[in-house]
Amino acid sequence: MTEISSPMRPQMSFAGFRAIGRWWLLLALIASLLAFAAGRPQMLDSGNIVTILRSASIMAIMVLGLTWVIAAGKIDVSFMQIAALANMTTAGLLAQGSGWALAALCGIAIGAVVGLVNGVLVGRMRLSPLITTIATGGVCASAAAAIGAGTSIRIDDTGLLGDFLAARLGPVPLIALFVAVLYAVAWWMQERLTFGHYIYAAEQNEEALVDVGVPVHRLLVLVYLISGVCASVAGVLLAASLSSGQPMIGSSYFIDGLTAVFLGGMMIRIGRPNVIGTATAVLLLAVLVSGGALLGWPDYQREIIKGALLLAGVAMAVRMGRALDGFAKGGRS
Amino acid sequence: MTATSRLPSGFYRVLAFLALVAAVVAIFALIEPRYLSMRNLTAVTRHMAANGLAALGLTFVVVVRKYDLSFPGIASFAAMTIGFLIAGGYSLGAAIAAGLGVGIAVGLVNGFAVAYGRLPDIVTTIATGSIVGGMAFLYTGGRTIFQNFMTSGLIDLNDIRFLGLNASFYFLIAIYGVAYLVLHHSRFGASFRAAGENPVSAHLSGIPVRLYTMGAFAVCAATAVLAVVLILAESGTADTNEGANFLMPAYAAVFLGAALLGGASIPATLAGTALITILLDGFSLLGVPYYYSDGVVSLILLAGVVLFDERLRREAAFLMTFLGFGRKIGETHP
Amino acid sequence: MAQPVLTISRLAKRFGPVQALGEVDFTLEQGEIHALLGVNGAGKSTFIKILSGVYTKDEGTIEIDGRSVEFRSPRDAIAHGVAAVQQHPELVGDLTGYENIFLGMEGGRRGFWSRIDRASMRRRADALLARFPVEIDLSRRVSSLSVVEREIVAILQALSRENIRVLILDEPTSTLTEVEKGVLFRLMAHLRAFGISIIYITHRLEEVMEIVDRLTVFRGGRRITTMSVEAARAEGVTLAELMLGETLDHVYPPRREDAGAGEVVFSVEGLRLPGVLDNIRFDVRRGEIVGVFGLVGSGLDELSKVLFGAMGPAEGKMRLGGREIAPRTPREALANGIFLVPGDRRTEGLTLSQASVFNMTLANLGKASGLAGLLRRGRNRRASAALAEKVTLHPPLLDRAVSDFSGGNQQKIVVAKGLFAGADLYIFVEPTVGVDIGARSRLYGLMRDLAESAAVIVMSSDCDEVHGLSDRTFALYKGRQIGQPSGDITRGRLLAAGIMGSLH
Repeated sequence: MTEISSPMRPQMSFAGFRAIGRWWLLLALIASLLAFAAGRPQMLDSGNIVTILRSASIMAIMVLGLTWVIAAGKIDVSFMQIAALANMTTAGLLAQGSGWALAALCGIAIGAVVGLVNGVLVGRMRLSPLITTIATGGVCASAAAAIGAGTSIRIDDTGLLGDFLAARLGPVPLIALFVAVLYAVAWWMQERLTFGHYIYAAEQNEEALVDVGVPVHRLLVLVYLISGVCASVAGVLLAASLSSGQPMIGSSYFIDGLTAVFLGGMMIRIGRPNVIGTATAVLLLAVLVSGGALLGWPDYQREIIKGALLLAGVAMAVRMGRALDGFAKGGRS
Repeated sequence: MTATSRLPSGFYRVLAFLALVAAVVAIFALIEPRYLSMRNLTAVTRHMAANGLAALGLTFVVVVRKYDLSFPGIASFAAMTIGFLIAGGYSLGAAIAAGLGVGIAVGLVNGFAVAYGRLPDIVTTIATGSIVGGMAFLYTGGRTIFQNFMTSGLIDLNDIRFLGLNASFYFLIAIYGVAYLVLHHSRFGASFRAAGENPVSAHLSGIPVRLYTMGAFAVCAATAVLAVVLILAESGTADTNEGANFLMPAYAAVFLGAALLGGASIPATLAGTALITILLDGFSLLGVPYYYSDGVVSLILLAGVVLFDERLRREAAFLMTFLGFGRKIGETHP
Repeated sequence: MAQPVLTISRLAKRFGPVQALGEVDFTLEQGEIHALLGVNGAGKSTFIKILSGVYTKDEGTIEIDGRSVEFRSPRDAIAHGVAAVQQHPELVGDLTGYENIFLGMEGGRRGFWSRIDRASMRRRADALLARFPVEIDLSRRVSSLSVVEREIVAILQALSRENIRVLILDEPTSTLTEVEKGVLFRLMAHLRAFGISIIYITHRLEEVMEIVDRLTVFRGGRRITTMSVEAARAEGVTLAELMLGETLDHVYPPRREDAGAGEVVFSVEGLRLPGVLDNIRFDVRRGEIVGVFGLVGSGLDELSKVLFGAMGPAEGKMRLGGREIAPRTPREALANGIFLVPGDRRTEGLTLSQASVFNMTLANLGKASGLAGLLRRGRNRRASAALAEKVTLHPPLLDRAVSDFSGGNQQKIVVAKGLFAGADLYIFVEPTVGVDIGARSRLYGLMRDLAESAAVIVMSSDCDEVHGLSDRTFALYKGRQIGQPSGDITRGRLLAAGIMGSLH
């Protein structure tokens, strides 16, 4: 009976469909950049471009690890609070007179610890990723606020990091080049190393990996650890960038981070979050913010647009993923 | 996860929970005698009301094995809708009805997307929560609304008291009573629970699984709106992030309660809410700054789900049996 | 011949009171394909699970090349050169065939930081294919491969790892086309030529003759006989009879004398679901049980789902109690008076963590509730207690979680659920899988009782059960109906119809 029951998949015109599907986000980025430029020529001013690249760079660092957490079929809603905690830790230590190197290292170390805790609870103890990271995120948020006793902490000297953020190589901020290299390495890790290979395999069938002796739980611990480190690095950079420690900074990155990852998941590896997609989506969001500001859109309109983008991104990623798989995947979480 | 576990002996769990509450209260009372005052009891019960309502709807969503992260956004949007209508001279009843209307509409959208569109619940509700959170700004561009609040009767909701306790607490108990009957003693509740635990078997038993999944999201939205009405009555103003503080206590209440009483249920959520509120209230009475509250709640939640983890419990039970306490592990198995 | 690669003596395994396997002696020569035959519950799967390290044996010895070995885990077994390929191997759908074959060994070393050398993986895959030529495109993603191609990928995965001497294939051909079968058999022939021994579990007799060297028949947890294919042919033994053995007549309630004489309660005409079912036509009369025999992949489960509105929509007509019905959902089917006792009670029939009273009332919540939808607790408990007594639920505890009952009692709860729902047509699918003999007899009695007032259809891959219980039977083979329901089909002919697709 299988002559008929072996599933027939609609493989026909996917090639062309797929090429557009693969790269449409990049097209959307260019289109929106041009559209804003048409309305407000100052959009393409080098100053504005630098601002866009700079804010996108920090954002991109924050969500690099998150991309892999979600690619592995899990979720992390603590990343922005880890960034806030690292941000406040750094600012707090600076305020107490320690040097930038120590302050930054402590900020990153604390992010690594939280990431590790997430990883152990989710990867080893098999707790629900959402509940676990809601809780660890809550602890981080509280700790961040406690460091500044509820208020922000001013940073007088942004040190070498401040210089690094301000530095430009021609029209391009140095940080953007740094992030470009980082993402290139990440892409290599994702595509050329077993690391990335197993992340995607784990999302599909953990059992298959366990059967051939791949330690999936260790992979999950590692992925959460990376997410914690990435978020905390971004938090430290934000301290230098804003010349202050901001305890409430997390909430503004929450939607943006998830939107970036899920929108990015609709590019290249359709239905699977990946680093190039995330980078493109981060840029798109930065362009939207910048262009919206130039056009005088209020903040909340941008929030609505981002939410709608996220919804559209998820809906299309799920649909496309299903169409390409030929079968529906089970829910996340 | 703990929400799936069964009550092996519900009675002992309730006793253990009451003992825990008594211990917590005793500790606080020792440190700060005012903790046992009527005034504080009034405050605790009032705080319980709003958080308890938000957690109540979430319980339904968790029972159908989904998550909803949009209810804080829904609450904010509904708060501004209600505030806007009151400021515009509409009656309190009409305003609350409209708030419930928009909230339930968003809940239905969530439910439709998750149940019928088969979108992943977490991200979908994050997105819709963000959209409606932004829409809360539509009415005033973000300004706080307070006009007509005094005269509308809204504030009175906060001031009515019986026997020294706020009306909102009695309202909470009444709603929990209704929810208890619905979830644990009605055909609808049986359908919710069957749909959550084994959707295939529920479908083959003639239960419209998707409809109930969608319904759970609508219930969650509705109770979030009711919760925010209490907050509006208490504060006398409507803010654009009125619902933002619901997320953590609601999740903590549902999952802590589930961990304590062995599964998500209406009594479990009530127990979780009570324990969290008692703790938070105690800390605030001791002068612990407000920003520790999320951290405390989170730590309790983590401790709850880790300590009451099914595997850990089984190992603990095994140890107890080994040491000669309690009943034998294997006796319930065929 | 040289020393056997595998020698097993007096192997035994018990599960609680059930002797699943007793005193089994077995030898496997190097480079032979050895079929294991037997009906459901004959002990084949217990046997191979012990061999592949999934279960540990209670008694007996396993020797490889004359040395005694102990398998504590599948990895132990693989280390000794024994690998089992499951019916539904765990593969990653997104990855290509060769990526799956070398999963975990993509680079030079293990771990997360090894470079994936796709060129070398291809080379290694080509080398593998050169040793064992098989027509398969390994650069396609596994999600787009057919069942047999996945099976082949899993076989190649096993072969690529260790020095595999013994390969166990668990019913690889339950859903194969002729072409796919050819591909798989050529691969097996190559493996044999390389000196690899294959244990091949199957239900399908005609395939056995084509490819295997020897065959062993299991029945009731014991090895009945082992013979070469030539000997089997020469002696003209009917394998069906070997597999079936004596009927356990006392298990089944007496049939009706006047079967087929009552009025037609339920009828199906021209039922067709493209690719699954083809022109099914039968009727069920009051007072009788109609049995359908079919193997996994015959469309049995699908037929039950189509009748119950859980699959489809299918072409064709269904009539129940004189009315034409066309249920599109289980809800509509229940409203029309159809109840399905599904094939997998744990995933399809029960809400395991809930109490038995919860489960018994679930399929008719309208009846279980009154004013405002509130459940009538006392009434439901009384009704459930009566049902528990009727189905002899043991222990008759209404508040006990269903998961704490034995398999047979779980099935009784599903039957009680059907009784509470109240239907005119009851469909039972694989009603006694994992049910001990005492509970089986009771379940059969219940089904017979049901037939007095309602139409009953029994669908099973246990030929004995279908034949012993039903008044009239027919078989299903690859979605086709073999024969019309008849009371005169012998056990052997029914078995032949189900496994070979013809009545002769």
